Amino acid sequence: MAATQQTRGRGGSADAKGSSRGGISLEMRMLLPVLLLLAVLSLFPFFYIVWMSLNTVSLISGVSFEWAGLTNWGRMFTDEIVGAAWLRGAIYFVATVGLEMVLGIAIALLVHELVWGKNLAISLILLPMFMAPVIVGLLGRFLTDSSYGLYSYVLQQTGLYQDDILGSSGSALVAVILMDVWEWTPLIALIVLAGLASVNQYVIEAAKVDGAGYWQRLRHIVLPSIAGVVLVALLIRSMDAIRYFDIITVTTNGGPGNTTKIIPLRLYETAFRFFDLGYAAAIGLGMLVFSILVATVFVQILQRRGLAR
Amino acid sequence: MSRPSGWLTRKEFLRLTGVSLAGASFPWLAGCGGGSGSSGASAGGGIWKQFSGMTLNFVSENTSPTSAIAANLQSFQELTGITINVLQLELQTLVQKIALDIGSGEGSYQIIYADPYQVLAPYHQALAELNEFNEDPDLPSVPKGLEDFIPTQLAAAGRFANEETLYALPYDCPTMIWMYRKDLFERYGDRMSQDLGFDPTPSAESTWEHYYQTARWFNDNVDEVPYGTGHQARQYDSLMCDFSNVLWAYGGDYFGQGEEVGTLGTADPGPSTLDEPQAVEAAAFYQKLLAIAHPGSTSWDWNTTDEAFRTGQMAMTPNWHEFAAVDQDPAESEIVGKIGYAPLPRGPARRANMWGGTGIGINKRAPIEEQKAAWLFLVWATSPETMLMGMKSDVGGGTPTRSSLYELPEVKKAMEPPSEMPNLLTYDAVSEAWKPENIGLRPKIQSWNECDTAIYTELSRMLADQKSPEQAMKTAKRYFDEAQARARTLASAPGQGGVA
Repeated sequence: MAATQQTRGRGGSADAKGSSRGGISLEMRMLLPVLLLLAVLSLFPFFYIVWMSLNTVSLISGVSFEWAGLTNWGRMFTDEIVGAAWLRGAIYFVATVGLEMVLGIAIALLVHELVWGKNLAISLILLPMFMAPVIVGLLGRFLTDSSYGLYSYVLQQTGLYQDDILGSSGSALVAVILMDVWEWTPLIALIVLAGLASVNQYVIEAAKVDGAGYWQRLRHIVLPSIAGVVLVALLIRSMDAIRYFDIITVTTNGGPGNTTKIIPLRLYETAFRFFDLGYAAAIGLGMLVFSILVATVFVQILQRRGLAR
Repeated sequence: MSRPSGWLTRKEFLRLTGVSLAGASFPWLAGCGGGSGSSGASAGGGIWKQFSGMTLNFVSENTSPTSAIAANLQSFQELTGITINVLQLELQTLVQKIALDIGSGEGSYQIIYADPYQVLAPYHQALAELNEFNEDPDLPSVPKGLEDFIPTQLAAAGRFANEETLYALPYDCPTMIWMYRKDLFERYGDRMSQDLGFDPTPSAESTWEHYYQTARWFNDNVDEVPYGTGHQARQYDSLMCDFSNVLWAYGGDYFGQGEEVGTLGTADPGPSTLDEPQAVEAAAFYQKLLAIAHPGSTSWDWNTTDEAFRTGQMAMTPNWHEFAAVDQDPAESEIVGKIGYAPLPRGPARRANMWGGTGIGINKRAPIEEQKAAWLFLVWATSPETMLMGMKSDVGGGTPTRSSLYELPEVKKAMEPPSEMPNLLTYDAVSEAWKPENIGLRPKIQSWNECDTAIYTELSRMLADQKSPEQAMKTAKRYFDEAQARARTLASAPGQGGVA
């Protein structure tokens, strides 16, 4: 038995050495087919979209391309509707991600302190996250309907708000932001809870012994300990918020008066309503560049803190 | 080509022999020849069975007529041996599916719900020319001929840019009319007349200004309903439909050659006329009207507007006539038997009632045998007997696009309450609305989707007080012209085969 294992071990070693010839390891050679497949699946659509963005694309006589050079790109940078959609998207992005981070961390800290019923509390808090965004939108539309919606009724009866929530410029944007916050704050809470579980309890105990209060422990021990996890949560939600689409489509369709039309809605409209696919490709690539920039910033912060490998 | 009168063509001979065969094989077909006595739908089993075993896909908007068709496909399958898979989708998703299918060249959906504005106008080149099938002696022709279709609807739903080529057969015909709470008008009519100085009961003399004043009176004086009027003014296609009634009534239009652009459609409608004074005046009135409407209006589309109407949220609304069926359903509505129907009010220029009908066409990308089989379905689905069956269907059903059906005794009887076909209760209003001088036809142009988005977005901005009526109309005009310029560029691109 031992001899067999030895033989296998030697053989493995010899294979490994052999596989290094030419600079490609055995593992790499085994992974290569899948990597190539993934590359084809990712890179082909990417270059195809780049090509589309440089053409006028028509579907009328089958898919056909007519070279347009940088026309679509030039149009994107001068299109006032797209510019306004980016601006609204930025407001929306900061509001949703900001609120979700603050509320998610707060909820996680509260739940972490629970002595009993913690599992039940976590289960209840996580419920919204398991709903499809389109269902959240439909639920939100139902609850805010000015004829029979519960939220509308409460706001009207208390005299806090009389207009139609989704039909008025200011309240519509707030409403769709809150719907997203309602659905995705639990995700932040869950990630932060996982981070809190890994905080060194000995350090906490030592701080308590030294007389540090809750806020001091939170500021100097807990938050620095979970900073990496929070950044990861921030990265995940940011990537998601950039492509936020479902809830707005179901509730306001970008209205009223375009106040909730953020860039993914304009992209969808351009691609699948106007079928201006060349221009839509340029807008889509613009969103991709923005996503990469956001992700790069977060990854750099993580690296600077020594939290990313 | 001429022939001596009295001679039978080969096609007529086949039709006549077919009638007797059909009478023996399909009793439901035998009685539907109507006055002409020869109809394709009544033709013999041989030509109907020639594609037996084939399976076709019908992609349609999720409308009542299609629900009725889907519920009664068994009779088509027995007649032809063809299996039809019906895919019902929300309009926007439907348009995407069709566009992508056309682009792929696959022809996966052989039978297409060809919305005149979002499918027929931009993709008519991908639809088969139906006259070829209708004149093919080996295929059944349209029962009672094309003349039986209401002429304006045949042109609007079936043709593009010329009167010869036929791309679709009229299939449904929702039209916007004035729906109002008859009970409230009866109860408060005298008081309203005294206070307002005119008879508020909807009639041929009613104007949009009367409508506005009546709505305001309801707001101020009646407790049974929270508001006088409600509108489908969400930033969506529905807003364009609702506004267009007012636009046309005030003498405005989207393009200079309004009537032609609406009926047959055109590849080059010229510059938009939305910045002209009549259009601006219409927009100003619409803004004034919406200011007193139910506040939910700016978040309602056509479905939610009707939902609000049938749950007693307002006294009147411009509404699609085919909602009559659900409004008269005790399981769905709180106002059964309390609804009155009238054509929409008139404006300074005319009365206009938005028509939202659609045809069904055949995908030219499908193999020719499948196209022919799809023709059998088109003939069956638009035949008088199938339309009658649809009206009686438990799952909804539409309103016929054929004149002859309205002459049937059972259909005439259903125009008065109590009715087994509640959509027909609106007949007096819609028949008035369908008159050429009253019908409202939006532009049938290739860039309509973009123009539609531009107008309802600008209107929504106007209603949100972000823009004045003048600014909204001027901006919409600019977007219309830009969209048209892009459409022209695209149409002139090599390989597009022109635009008409």
